[in-house]
Amino acid sequence: MGLGKTLAVRGLTLIAVLFCVLLLTVAVIGATGVSDRILNAMLNERLRGIRQVLSTQITDPDELNRAIEAIEDDLIHSYGLDQPWYVRMPSMLARIIILDLGNARTIQTFTGSRLVSDIILERLPNTILIMITVLIINFLVGLIIGVKSATRPGSLLDRFISIYSSISYAIPTWWLGLLMILVFSFYFRLFPFGGMFSAPPPTELIPRLLDLIWHAAMPIITLVIALSGSWIYITRSVVITTAQEDFVTVARAKGLSERLVMWRYIIRVAAPPILTNLMLGLAAYLGGAILTETVFSWPGMGLLYYHAIVSIDEALILALTYIFTLIYVISRFLLEVFYVILDPRVRYG
Amino acid sequence: MSLFLREALREFWRGSLSKLGVIFLSIVIIVSFYTTTTMPLDYGTRFWSNPVFWVNNPKAAPPEWVNTFVSPKLLEHKVLSTSLPASVDAVEGSILKRYSVSYKLGVEQFPQFFNLEVSNLTYHEAPPTLILSILKPDGYSIDLYTFIVERPFENESIPFIRYTLEPKRVLLSGEVQVARALSNFISARYGELLSPSQIIDIGYEQIIFGERSALKSFTPLKGTYTLTLTLASRNPNDNIGSCRFILGGQVYGLMGTDLLGRDLFSGLLFGFPVALLIGFATSVITTALGAGLGIMSGYIGGRIDDLIQRFSDIVNNFPQLPLLIFLTFIFGGKLWVIVLVLVAFGWPGLTIIVRSMVLSVKGAPFVESALAVGASRLRIMGRHIFPQVAPFILSQLIFYTPSAILSEAALSFLGLGDPTIPTWGQILEYGFRNGAVYLGYWWWILPPGLLIIYSAITFVFIAMGLEPVVNPRLRRWR
Amino acid sequence: MPYLEVSDLHLYYETVRGIVRAVDGVEFMLEKGEALGLVGESGCGKSSTANALLRLLPKNYIEYRGHIILGRHDLMNLSDDEFREQIRWKRISMIFQGAMNSLNPVLRVGFQVAEPLMIHRNLNKEEALRKASELFKLVGLPSELVDRYPHELSGGMKQRVVISMALVLNPELIILDEPTSALDVSIQAQIMNLLKTLKNELGITMVFITHDIALASDLSDKVAVMYAGQIVELGFIEDVLHKPLHPYSQKLVASVPLLKGNKKPEFIPGAPPDLVAPPHGCRFAPRCPFIKEKCMVDPPSSHLVGGGYVKCWLYE
Repeated sequence: MGLGKTLAVRGLTLIAVLFCVLLLTVAVIGATGVSDRILNAMLNERLRGIRQVLSTQITDPDELNRAIEAIEDDLIHSYGLDQPWYVRMPSMLARIIILDLGNARTIQTFTGSRLVSDIILERLPNTILIMITVLIINFLVGLIIGVKSATRPGSLLDRFISIYSSISYAIPTWWLGLLMILVFSFYFRLFPFGGMFSAPPPTELIPRLLDLIWHAAMPIITLVIALSGSWIYITRSVVITTAQEDFVTVARAKGLSERLVMWRYIIRVAAPPILTNLMLGLAAYLGGAILTETVFSWPGMGLLYYHAIVSIDEALILALTYIFTLIYVISRFLLEVFYVILDPRVRYG
Repeated sequence: MSLFLREALREFWRGSLSKLGVIFLSIVIIVSFYTTTTMPLDYGTRFWSNPVFWVNNPKAAPPEWVNTFVSPKLLEHKVLSTSLPASVDAVEGSILKRYSVSYKLGVEQFPQFFNLEVSNLTYHEAPPTLILSILKPDGYSIDLYTFIVERPFENESIPFIRYTLEPKRVLLSGEVQVARALSNFISARYGELLSPSQIIDIGYEQIIFGERSALKSFTPLKGTYTLTLTLASRNPNDNIGSCRFILGGQVYGLMGTDLLGRDLFSGLLFGFPVALLIGFATSVITTALGAGLGIMSGYIGGRIDDLIQRFSDIVNNFPQLPLLIFLTFIFGGKLWVIVLVLVAFGWPGLTIIVRSMVLSVKGAPFVESALAVGASRLRIMGRHIFPQVAPFILSQLIFYTPSAILSEAALSFLGLGDPTIPTWGQILEYGFRNGAVYLGYWWWILPPGLLIIYSAITFVFIAMGLEPVVNPRLRRWR
Repeated sequence: MPYLEVSDLHLYYETVRGIVRAVDGVEFMLEKGEALGLVGESGCGKSSTANALLRLLPKNYIEYRGHIILGRHDLMNLSDDEFREQIRWKRISMIFQGAMNSLNPVLRVGFQVAEPLMIHRNLNKEEALRKASELFKLVGLPSELVDRYPHELSGGMKQRVVISMALVLNPELIILDEPTSALDVSIQAQIMNLLKTLKNELGITMVFITHDIALASDLSDKVAVMYAGQIVELGFIEDVLHKPLHPYSQKLVASVPLLKGNKKPEFIPGAPPDLVAPPHGCRFAPRCPFIKEKCMVDPPSSHLVGGGYVKCWLYE
């Protein structure tokens, strides 16, 4: 229906975004020779493995070398290294999409694998955990405080919110994290300095869960403080504007209770623009996740970014850029779904 | 037009935030101006990234004014210099010129290090010998270090002048000679034996500036020390231009030092104009590009409009930070790369809004009449459409500036910035990477962040003050 | 016994500039099934009177008193909760200015019409929606439109929805605040016809607020001319239209352009007074062509033969 068509159009745009980003990254790594390096590294790893296997079968060193060279030529051709970078763009694209990018330079998973795809998949849930928790908390906090502030314009809470929002925009999330560590970990010794679990981590379920919460508390609090400011303010503004609409007065005239008016006529109508703003701010969540994980050494993909930069691991950075864009596109799409459900006006008839 | 401007200014000035923002901005501009005129432009590569320049500063030291709040007081950093000999003696054919300073150790702490710098040494005959010695308050004296000045070169003529461009630096803690001298001193003074390697383990400063409390431990010896550099030469005209005795304290400067001993105050100062430059460059270019494309797209319409619209819709939906990281990683963290990347991702937001504004202005009667009169498209866009959207564009320009500053800080923090230029983000990056947070070096962590916030808030306040001007619906009623 | 009797109605509210005396001693009477046209310029307090009748008070009100007697009960005596449960929409409903914005954009129109039934009469959703579609037919809308959203309807359709919404609980009194001012003329005529039909068939008492006295004459039995928060003339529509007594009413009537004849419409010089500081004495005096010294004192309402009144020294 109208719903489906709208979503399809938005979905297509988002897929186009993903595609363009991938295209951009592939072109950049191709033109700067980075893709050559990555593919060469992958090729050499494979050769090493093949050499190991073959050396148990062929004992004559010359014959071994000849065999390896033949395989090497095949591999070079299959990796596309004998062609200019723009010719092998499609295969490079496919490679990135399925994360077939070989090994990371120095990093390993906890189980010892060095494959880029394994490393990323291992860290992914940690990042998602933080992001979703922060999103939910921000949503609730923003809604409650934003609505409370909107119903009492000019009050102390309201003025505090205005100041708080404008300042929280200017505070770098990562610096706030540093500050929190300085104050709460160094001076007050209330929270750990970072990481996801203590060393050694507790083995039983409940203590392990508590340990996790204790470690996750500061990153989450930091992100909430840094990102909720503008969110609360926008909620408040939209609610105030909506509350002044005529249909709200009509609802009161119809004898509806104030509670019903608030929910069905103000919040329900304000939801779509608030959601739009959430969508616009989603990029900030991603950026915040990357920086906060770095500050708190939270073993998610953000910290992976940091390590990859320090160890100049191109394949890893490429893979991370892709994954982050993918997460971003998916979350945007989910929000779009919500938006279309909430606001009948945007459905193409 | 001027009436509009006057009214706009009045409206802008009405809010208290605007006033605050303008005051803050003036401070930023004044500081930046001061910095660019007093510090060289290549400060970053020449001084900041040059560890030799900072070798005489205490490492990771909090600012001096901390001493007004703590007790017991932390040891001050002292640089004592002298240019004239305190005494001149002739002994067995040698002339001994003694350059002395007195150093008062008033707290129960050891100096962090003891360095010597000699500049402008002139000699006429045989290379003279320099002896560094110290007279402790308990009366004992130690000859710490001796060295002979370099011989004249082949074609050099009298007088031989040394250490003019770069002073001769002696970092005592790096000299094994000192360990041996101290070992001899220990056995002479206390009758006990401590090998040079044991001396190195204990630390020179403890022995030089302390008194023994147990076999291997020393407590600081308070009192007045006399530090002397003796120039022993044959010729009475040989002399030292100036010599400096540096006793590393526990505090330093207005803002303290980092792990390399870099004076954070000058680093932070340099960050002002850099932040301003990045902020303005990025926002000006982004605004020009975004608004220009928006006006073109909105007014010309048709295929160009479609193209620009699609393109900006897609770019607008790019996840910023991951791509920023990727591109600065590949292309390097030079300042202009960062500016370019920020511009590349920033323009679509403005284009989309400006385009819709232009669309609503396009149908206005005055535009139609301009067309009827025969004005060219460029003229209409420039003279008629642009003034309508100009106020909004201006406010967006102000609003983009802090986000550019914040983005550069974030990138620097991740290690992708320009390590030769001290920006606030760079300073924090170095601190974080070296564990300043975990060691509680608050003077390293707090000021850069506060400055970032301060500069961002400046522009936010001004942008908020401009809002009622550009958005008449929000104007305050008298 | 008049069915609706409003007397001594005052509504003041506080602004940064001072106390706005939006409704300053309004009184009128209506029989059952009669329609009163409340006419006046913008800012004279018509809408505030409407809000006062439904106790839709702005947050900054500081004075609200008077008597609103509907069928023998003085509504002023009710508490806010009682008023909300017993009066709002059940006995008095309202059609607001600007149908465009009277409907919640994210709810289906049928639901919005059915809502009062579910709240006040405890009907379940299907029954209420069924009643809503019946009402739609009554106001001339195809009943399938109950499932539509407001943005899918034209201006005229939306106004009909709003009208049906006002009728849904069979109120005794409907207040119509400029129900047609946002519509173009042809739709306006349709809506007016609908309103006339409803009035005749359902016998609803109406208060019809408008700035257009010609439009008021179409629907109303009586007309009250309002100026600066007060009613300056009240009478049967034919009397006021053909023989306006108050100088303001005269000017108002004379300003209506006529289809036939060569008479040019007149205008009223000056501007309506600021409701924050209304002039002492007769409020129309500064603009009145018949101003006398007596007009420095506020004239009383002189009752007339037909049951109306006029507030002017000329008739004292």
